[in-house]
Amino acid sequence: MEIIRMENISKIYPGTVALKGVDFTLNKQEIVSLLGENGAGKTTLMKILYGMTAPSSGRIFYKGEPVRFKRPIDAIEKGICMVHQHFMLVPAFTVVENIIAGSEPGSNIFLDKKKARQEVIDLISRFKFNVDPDAKVEKLSVGEQQRVEILKVLYRKADVIILDEPTAVLTPHEVDDLFAVLRRLKDEGKSIIIITHKLKETKEIADRVVVLRDGNLINDNVDPRKVSTKELSEMMVGHEVNLQARRPAKHIGEVCLKVENLTVEEDGKEKVKNVSFAIHHGEILGIAGIEGNGQTQIIEALTGLRKPKSMKLTLDGKEVTGKSSDFLKAGIGHVPEDRLSMGLVKEMSVMENMILGYHRESEFCSKKGLLLKKQISQYAEKLKKDFLVKAASIYSAVSSLSGGNQQKIIISRVFSREPKAIIVAHPTRGVDIGATEYIHNQLIELRDRGAAVLLISADLDEVRALSDRILVLYEGEIVSESMPGELSEVEMGLLMTGGNYMVEEGKQRD
Amino acid sequence: MTFNAEVLYSIVASTLRSSVPLILAALGGCFSVRAGVSDLGLEGMMLAGSFFSVLGSYITGNAWLGLLFGMLFGAVFSMLHAVMHITYRVNASISGMCVNLLATAATPLLLNEIFGMSGKSPIVEAFKKPDWQWMNNIPVVGRILGAQNVLFFVAILLVIVSWIFMYKTKIGLRMRMVSENPHAASTVGLNVTAYKYFGVAMSGCLAGFAGAYLSIGQMNLFVEEMTAGRGYIAVVINAFGKYNPLGVFGGSIFFGFFDALQTIFQNIFPSQLVMMTPYVFTLLVIALGLGGSRGPAGVGKHVDN
Amino acid sequence: MIKNIDNARKIKMGSSFMNSAIALVISLILGMVIIGISGYSPIESYIAIFGVSLGTLKGFALSLSQATPLIFTGLAFAFAYKVKMINTGAEGQLYAGAMAAALVGAYITNLPSGVHALLGFAAAFLAGGLAALFVALCKVYLNANEIIVSLMLNEIIIFFTSYLANGPLKPPGSGVGQTKMIEDTAKLTKLIPQTQLTTAIFIAIITACVLAYLLDKTVFGYEIKVTGHNLKASNVAGINVSKISLITFALSGAIAGMGGAAMVLGVNYRFVEGFSSGYGFAGISIAALAAYNPIGVIFSAFLIGILKSGTITLNRTTSIPVELVDIIQVLVLIFVAAPALIKSIMSRAKKVRSKSSREEHMEVKTSDI
Repeated sequence: MEIIRMENISKIYPGTVALKGVDFTLNKQEIVSLLGENGAGKTTLMKILYGMTAPSSGRIFYKGEPVRFKRPIDAIEKGICMVHQHFMLVPAFTVVENIIAGSEPGSNIFLDKKKARQEVIDLISRFKFNVDPDAKVEKLSVGEQQRVEILKVLYRKADVIILDEPTAVLTPHEVDDLFAVLRRLKDEGKSIIIITHKLKETKEIADRVVVLRDGNLINDNVDPRKVSTKELSEMMVGHEVNLQARRPAKHIGEVCLKVENLTVEEDGKEKVKNVSFAIHHGEILGIAGIEGNGQTQIIEALTGLRKPKSMKLTLDGKEVTGKSSDFLKAGIGHVPEDRLSMGLVKEMSVMENMILGYHRESEFCSKKGLLLKKQISQYAEKLKKDFLVKAASIYSAVSSLSGGNQQKIIISRVFSREPKAIIVAHPTRGVDIGATEYIHNQLIELRDRGAAVLLISADLDEVRALSDRILVLYEGEIVSESMPGELSEVEMGLLMTGGNYMVEEGKQRD
Repeated sequence: MTFNAEVLYSIVASTLRSSVPLILAALGGCFSVRAGVSDLGLEGMMLAGSFFSVLGSYITGNAWLGLLFGMLFGAVFSMLHAVMHITYRVNASISGMCVNLLATAATPLLLNEIFGMSGKSPIVEAFKKPDWQWMNNIPVVGRILGAQNVLFFVAILLVIVSWIFMYKTKIGLRMRMVSENPHAASTVGLNVTAYKYFGVAMSGCLAGFAGAYLSIGQMNLFVEEMTAGRGYIAVVINAFGKYNPLGVFGGSIFFGFFDALQTIFQNIFPSQLVMMTPYVFTLLVIALGLGGSRGPAGVGKHVDN
Repeated sequence: MIKNIDNARKIKMGSSFMNSAIALVISLILGMVIIGISGYSPIESYIAIFGVSLGTLKGFALSLSQATPLIFTGLAFAFAYKVKMINTGAEGQLYAGAMAAALVGAYITNLPSGVHALLGFAAAFLAGGLAALFVALCKVYLNANEIIVSLMLNEIIIFFTSYLANGPLKPPGSGVGQTKMIEDTAKLTKLIPQTQLTTAIFIAIITACVLAYLLDKTVFGYEIKVTGHNLKASNVAGINVSKISLITFALSGAIAGMGGAAMVLGVNYRFVEGFSSGYGFAGISIAALAAYNPIGVIFSAFLIGILKSGTITLNRTTSIPVELVDIIQVLVLIFVAAPALIKSIMSRAKKVRSKSSREEHMEVKTSDI
């Protein structure tokens, strides 16, 4: 039975067309995966369904009736609910308060906390969730928080549940739990849409796959059991995908960056536990791991942003200590995790951003503390040309550039200083495929020029493709060191989640 | 012995008296912050309340109607803050300061235009201390409470009602949700803007009440800049009391005590040094890190509709 | 596509001037209402105000001398705002500076005249700077709200200086709270005899130019801008954010303190209790009107100076209220602070519907990232 039908939906923004006449249907008791790259239009399509934006043209039918939701609350009242990628929870509230707020039981004025709690407990036991109703949300794990989000939706008696990138922040184990929950919901008669770009999960959970690319509907009836991941990815990207080709290091030199006994404490907990490793000249060392297992703390310690509880850091045999400026001066480059909040000043010009962090070097600044404007602008023009940064001029504000070009500014800034060692975090997050390829090439060239590279990325494929050696980080500890190709993706996935498993065993299974 | 008891009585009674405007203004601050809007405009709303309650009382000859007038105009001034910050996304510190500066500039102007006077207004009908003879028969408590204005009891009532409102009602929960995470509130269908406006309007009413207490509660006229920074002290008290009506009550009593000491030492030390003490004390509270409690997580965040 | 956005940015930069101009015009129009209520013809009154201030030498001198402390406090606010700190303490810093200058002027003797005056400014610079440094320390190390701390400190400084002027430092026989008259060597040279216009105006203008140079041409200015826009990025870039904030805020206070010296050494020749008619707070409006540009501050302060001088002069013969200028200042601040408010007023006036489409465009950009 058809529950949702969207016909010929278009969404035009000035300068861009986000959706071009897309059709979409959802049947009762069906799990549909809405697959596409960043910017393919999948989120826009769902925002239109959910009443968060209005379509430029097209019609929507819900249970056969034509509908047009002006606000999300209209959709919620009809039984269409969304679980957002960034959780919409109040950390200071309890689970019960989070679930009921906005649809509280009780008389018109007063809150009936007892009744609310009972209702939530009933809901939890009916769907066999594992959540403490009285816990404060700030104390919950990410997986538990997501369950609270789903409970919120169920409490509002949703028939259709839209999940936006639900697995992005989950550990593989939590993903399994989520999928079990989703199957149970389906059995209860709910219909589910998952917005995602992850192929394997799509294959695992979806009954039907709908693929969008550049605002166009590519295929709205793919049977996930009958296609390969490669076919799916080609549908999604539009051409053959060849990002995974490895280019191993040619000349691995002496030890460059050596980290010994790194321990970081935060809020009384050890987030990084006595980690030691070394990176050689001309080598990329990748750190794989689920986000939140100590990566941020390691980055902060290695770039001087945080004083670790203990660490001995040597660069070419010389010890590096002090503040972030000392680390930069010593020759440790840093491509930060989040370009806009940590790497760039978006209100300032491309030129000013291209010297950020190196602005005190004699090339850009006289001994009296004056900026050498002429040299700086020449330098910026050169970087803009060399690194193919697409900006109207070096005087344009960084905020006017696309994500890929913003990232290129950071890459150009750090790479062109020829750092001895470099800490690179999530270099291609939210960047389109073209820029990703470019950045990967630059990274490899930098390595081949002799730099020691520490690559930290949430994208396991990226780590596997670029690294010459891979560490797996789990709860602040290095649980494995391997050469690329030595471990399968499944094996690494298990290690990343603390799976207590023997490598030998895995190999037999392969 | 009797002398000591007298002094004690007078200190306690005076503490309570001085804390009333602080309680009311800081309670207003609670509503504002618990709806996700910072409360730096309290001083201006309070000053407006002081002036307009005198004006209301002057026109109607009734102190209660004067109070109503003061609350109303406190709310009117708060709307400047609300429109600038909530609708036009101005930094709440700037819009709060705008309210304060506007009240500081407008009240002398109005004093001049309406009463033709500068510095202070004519004397108007004010709240009288109730003549509760029976209270004097109750030992200790009666002596202290009997010395209070009727508005003191209204203020206590308001603290209790506000607490029930925030923690026991549906709207209270929703308002707090707006202050903690406006995006989340918006996704469950709450009208974030409306809750914020409500919170700010409440803060205006209560700050107006606080101002009225100063002009037609404790005195019977308006004096230029008579709030003398109490609105800012209320902001500190609000943080000190963790944005909770009960905490704010405790904090106000604490600060009121130092205000009371000031009146007692008035004749012993140079007046300027005595007048300085509440501010020095407030600074100490801040410097010792007591006034720095973290408020609701979503204060100052906006939601795109 | 990219070019369009870049042009849009240029338009935006130019529009900050337009924005200020429109805010000023709207505020002046609202000011007319106040004049009207007072029973005078608004247009004639404005002509009179500007006529007196700009048409006569004395009026012009008064405008400039009124503008002098405002340039200092305007610069103080604008400079602190570059690191996104709000200096509401300029009033107190002004008093601290004035007291320091008065002490140096009165109690240090036998100095050459130019040197003595400069020493007075230096003392004021130090006093204002220390007052602000205290606030900045509370903000940086205790995460206290700098606005509240500044306001509390204002009261303390004003009461304390008033205590000094009424107590230990009061010259015998004086009726009001004030300190001893400063030495002649500490007095600033009058530019036009029998006016209050002194060389202090040059010091004010030079200060503005120094700040502009500092912000635009030096590494320190670059670090200030980076810190103001993005704290995390400045940390990553190895900038010592605490140090930059402390120095900037202390400098901001020092500049406000110099405003106090200008009043003492050029106008009153002593510290007088309650000498400031809210110069500190006027600085907020002046900085906002100048879009926080140091050179712009000179002009916006001059503009407010004109209004002040005009109303002061007119107030002697008519009952046009002097508070008019205060109200106009606040209105300017309100309208400048809320560009969107002006935009909506303008678009309602013109019935232009381009605003909504531009906003949607923004939405695409952010969701694309």
